[in-house]
Amino acid sequence: MSDNHQNNYLTYPKGIMSWLLTLDHKRIGLMYLFGGMFFFFLAGAIALIMRYVLATPEADFVTNDQYNSMYTLHGAIMIFLFIIPAIPGALGNILLPLMLGARDVAFPRLNLFSFYLYSLGAVFVIYTILAGGVDTGWTFYTPYSTTSTTNVIPMTLGIFIIGFSSILTGLNFIATIHKMRIKGLTWYKLPLFVWALYGTSLVQITATPVIAITMVLLILERLLGIGIFDPALGGDPVLFQHFFWFYSHPAVYIMILPAFGIISEIIPVHSRKKVWGYKFIAYSTLSIAFIGFLVWGHHMFTSGQSVFSQIVFSFITYFVGIPTGIKIFSWMLTMYRGQVSFTPPMLYALSFLFLFTIGGLTGIFLGAVALDIHLHDTYFVVAHFHYVMQGGTIVAFLGGLHHWWPKSFGTMYNQTIANICAIGVFIGFNGTFFPQFLLGLRGMPRRYATYDNLGSEALVEQYAATHSYSTFWSGILGLSIFISVVNLLWSLRKNNKLDPGTNPWGALTMEWTHTTSPPHPHNFEEEPVLTHGPYDYDKVLVKPTLKRK
Amino acid sequence: MSEHHHITPLKIYFRVAGILFFLTAVTVWVSYVDLGFLNIVIALLIAGTKATIVALFFMHLLWDDKKNLTAFVLSLMFLAIFIIITMSDTEFRGAINPEIKDPINKRAAFYDSLPLTDDHGNPIHEDGSHESGDKDDHH
Ligand code: HEM
Ligand SMILES: [Cu+2]
Repeated sequence: MSDNHQNNYLTYPKGIMSWLLTLDHKRIGLMYLFGGMFFFFLAGAIALIMRYVLATPEADFVTNDQYNSMYTLHGAIMIFLFIIPAIPGALGNILLPLMLGARDVAFPRLNLFSFYLYSLGAVFVIYTILAGGVDTGWTFYTPYSTTSTTNVIPMTLGIFIIGFSSILTGLNFIATIHKMRIKGLTWYKLPLFVWALYGTSLVQITATPVIAITMVLLILERLLGIGIFDPALGGDPVLFQHFFWFYSHPAVYIMILPAFGIISEIIPVHSRKKVWGYKFIAYSTLSIAFIGFLVWGHHMFTSGQSVFSQIVFSFITYFVGIPTGIKIFSWMLTMYRGQVSFTPPMLYALSFLFLFTIGGLTGIFLGAVALDIHLHDTYFVVAHFHYVMQGGTIVAFLGGLHHWWPKSFGTMYNQTIANICAIGVFIGFNGTFFPQFLLGLRGMPRRYATYDNLGSEALVEQYAATHSYSTFWSGILGLSIFISVVNLLWSLRKNNKLDPGTNPWGALTMEWTHTTSPPHPHNFEEEPVLTHGPYDYDKVLVKPTLKRK
Repeated sequence: MSEHHHITPLKIYFRVAGILFFLTAVTVWVSYVDLGFLNIVIALLIAGTKATIVALFFMHLLWDDKKNLTAFVLSLMFLAIFIIITMSDTEFRGAINPEIKDPINKRAAFYDSLPLTDDHGNPIHEDGSHESGDKDDHH
């Protein structure tokens, strides 16, 4: 392979405008990556401040109003500016065309437009922060959100705009997967990450319009007094929750399906085994995407919705456990008798299995109406969704980042530090969030800045002890994530390049076997020809190679 | 996208347009006949028929790649899921607590500025009782 700087999408073409106007999916992916990471750290910093406040029963240096604003911004930024756009936008963009043997996504211009819509939405969110925040919670429930005097409109407008970015990315990926596969790459030969992106994209284009219209209805009600949700105007506040969760439950699958995809890639590579139950994993993705549309009412068990729908929603919720369980068992069987190596991506994948299973199972608890009446709006729910979203999605994202970092940048980070950080994330995460299950079971409500007058002295003392324990470990968690990202960035220093032909994990998917690291600006120097399936470790001998330049 | 484009004879467009106008006339006519709750059913059936023939003929779904038709029908199914399951809440809310029965509160402050009537134009009294009409008309 010639050592020409024109063979590297990072260095060719040059200049700031070549980045801002790029149509290259890999560059757009990187812009999503850095945008997403910025917001991840912003929302993470807010979280650590909140944890600090919660370590003692009294509010320390924030007012209740400020606290309300903080959890709203933390949740909304994490969800709408990081988790939802980051995996499809960053890893999805960088990898999808490479995995298909394509030169780019189906609509490169639309792809850039999606990124700018995301950025525009982000501007609205930043404006909201600078203008003093918003205090409704990321759920924007009416009637409070129609009366709150904080910046509800800029925030919801931002989310409305980001929604379009999400829809267009989904559309682009679906068209790409249908139309841009190279010859011979049939559906069952696709890497499972592609199936995951396909399922995610379907949910994105079908569910996201609903959140967009919900935000518009809310804005119209605030501005023009149209009575849709406000009972004083003849509306129905519970209807808002139907609208909101008809999007937001499927949205949790927008968040977790790509993570499933990453895990399905990492595990076979680092176990050197063909994936077990390929079709099971592929189809469970689609069935999760579908069932995900039928269960939204499990967020509304205490809203006053009809008992009849409670029963229906509770019943259907349990079905989500089936395809999810299928995936977990398929991954475990993939590792069984494989040569598991404890590389950083694999450590994250193993943490994922553990943490996501706890998150999913506690979701089933919450799906039981009788139990949820007790647990709703307590720290139990907070623990549940952090186990699935952080323990699941973010841990998988970090794993994916470490797995494809050498591919995207052509550099290798310090693997020992990365391993220590991965273990730090695992321990710090459990230390932070497991106690929150106990807090929730004992009745500690979520979204409270203080808890000094919530019950007897003994109870408050218990809360305080558990909260401060959680706060301590959240520091370890934050530190581990911070160091792991610094470790990644540090690998970008001068004179640390890998040989472009290197395949550090010995992976068989096309982005590793058919192109250089970092890839050519047009992905493949010659038209790629499909030579093997993505997980043919039983047929093809491929050794991990880590050569430096 | 299909490889070749179907050219529809103008005659068909005019015929379809004729049917649409006819159905519009039927909608208007039938709205003057009091059929109770069937009014809404019939209005929706006619509107649904019209939408279907617009999609099939004007939007060419009848002749296009059948994938497009599938996508279109699936999107309708999604809408149906949303509306039907939401109605499993709004329609049954009163089953245990009759006081929260009505999904929309017709006695809200907003309605004070309007003359209180039900769907058939019958006045509703302050206490919520109707002068006539059936018990299904709380929409
Ligand atoms: C096995 C699958 C799952 C089941 C059965 C499940 C069930 C539930 C239930 C019943 C609630 C409502 C609890 C309450 O508010 O009282 C809930 C809340 C939540 N779940 Fe899950 N869940 C599952 C997986 C997930 C996943 C994969 C994610 C995201 C990646 C997720 C994110 C959330 C969030 C964000 C909330 C709280 C929303 C809020 O009120 O702010 N869940 N889950
Ligand atoms: Cu849910």
